[in-house]
Amino acid sequence: MQTTPTNYSIETENLNLWYGNFQALIDVSVKIPDGQITSLIGPSGCGKSTLLRCFNRVNERYGNVTTTGKIEVLGKNVYDADVSLPELRKAVGMVFQRPNPLPISVYENILFGLRIHSPMRSITRTEADQIVEEALTSVFLWEDLKDKLKTRATSLQLEQQQKLCIARLLPLKPQIILMDEPCSALDAKGTLAVEELMEILAGRYTFLVVTHNMAQARRVSKECIFMFLGELIEHRETQALFETPQHSKTADYVQMRYG
Amino acid sequence: MAAGNLQPSVTRRICGFPKFLLTDCRLLMTNGYSSQDRRLMAIFSMARPELRKKIVLLSITVIIEGVAFIFLWSVLRETDTANTPVSSVSHTSEVLTRLLSDLNLILPISLLAILLGMACAFYLEEWLSATNWTRHFIESQTAFLTGIPSLLYGLLSVVIFFSYVGVFKTTRTMLQHNTALFYTEALIFILMVMPVAIKTTQEALRSVGTPIRESAYALGANRWQVLTKQVVPRAFPWMFAGGCRAMSRALAAAALLIGIYTWNYTTGLRGLPDRFMLFLGGALLLSNASSFLTEIYVPASTQQN
Repeated sequence: MQTTPTNYSIETENLNLWYGNFQALIDVSVKIPDGQITSLIGPSGCGKSTLLRCFNRVNERYGNVTTTGKIEVLGKNVYDADVSLPELRKAVGMVFQRPNPLPISVYENILFGLRIHSPMRSITRTEADQIVEEALTSVFLWEDLKDKLKTRATSLQLEQQQKLCIARLLPLKPQIILMDEPCSALDAKGTLAVEELMEILAGRYTFLVVTHNMAQARRVSKECIFMFLGELIEHRETQALFETPQHSKTADYVQMRYG
Repeated sequence: MAAGNLQPSVTRRICGFPKFLLTDCRLLMTNGYSSQDRRLMAIFSMARPELRKKIVLLSITVIIEGVAFIFLWSVLRETDTANTPVSSVSHTSEVLTRLLSDLNLILPISLLAILLGMACAFYLEEWLSATNWTRHFIESQTAFLTGIPSLLYGLLSVVIFFSYVGVFKTTRTMLQHNTALFYTEALIFILMVMPVAIKTTQEALRSVGTPIRESAYALGANRWQVLTKQVVPRAFPWMFAGGCRAMSRALAAAALLIGIYTWNYTTGLRGLPDRFMLFLGGALLLSNASSFLTEIYVPASTQQN
């Protein structure tokens, strides 16, 4: 790895998490390097999504969650008293499994994040137009949607919806984008389009992608993390993890003996 | 990892209910059973305290309702105004004036109760967690109270009102003070409209769905922004419809009050036929059965906020 300790965007130390009395994460210590795609793989229920949801503290909404250990995002412990949740979630964007654009126009979807973070009427019309165009251009939707900005976002194709969900994060200038199985609701063509988009954006943002699709992990990610029953088993460069797994559980999983 | 689920403390924490109701599921968690047996027991011991809690709560409600209904029936059976000299012109006009002036105040109070019910639904649905004991309790009670036909509430108001003004022999002295009468009537109307407002508002809020909330929260919106910018605009038509439904119950009961009064004025009120009350009792029984079954077999709330 050519990265040095100074450019890790997420670091956790001995992270434990319980839902009630059920321990979902056991002593997870992980360092996610800056500016590249890292994927999280593992069988269902192994804590991948839980770990992902720790980083922008979306987990807390479920209630009955207890966390111990340290989570540092961009060099700051997310559980510090002076961390504001809106600011954290602004810096750490999230894309969900099913595309979930808000049921408002494409235009307003992209501006929604920005509007809730800025004072009333501080965005002028020309600024707004420019922001929307930039965001849609960077996810390659501008050509398709420039005449449909007023249509309801939920009426678009799924692939376009998922790209829109990525696009609406961009005006907030996030540093990290978390993706929870972003392609599992899409067909092969949509998957390919989203993967290409991720690769193009990877230099500018840190991506952390949960996936059940090992071929996808192999295609897109530089580093790969394998989790099993709440524990982090192996974290290495993707190619090494798939070709020469060091742990027998990893080997079993990547060679599809179970899962 | 699955072993974490088997600890009895899990069940206690989830339902937060008196310990004596949980004792025998702990006895089940002993050795000497096959692993499949134990797995089944674990499932039942998770489910049973929840179920038992609900059955206890719901049975209490059914018993209270039954007692109230029998009281109502007994009062109405013994009603016979034919021999009571109440229908003098001055008396009836006095009663009518009081009734209408009371209703003039009770209807705005119902409207306030509906707004309060909506606020209450917001609190239950958006602030309390799905496993909260208060939430379970209020939800099971509203399920019952919404099911009861508004005719029954109306009849209860009639009995209380005319008891006071002296039409019914048996309970002539039940209420002595005008203010007490007013508050009782107001309470009945509130009891009638508030559960409907709570339930319909909760359904409206639930209809907005997790994906919309999740995406707004993940973009950094706080609870207030999520509610005002996304949830309420989408839930508003449903909430408004629920408010209309609740208010229609209040108006129907008020109409019944005025109707019964007019009936009494023109013909003299004799005991209501038993069949009337039998039909009404049947309606109450069936609505209770439906609320009971839906409360037991459908989880009170499956939504994660």
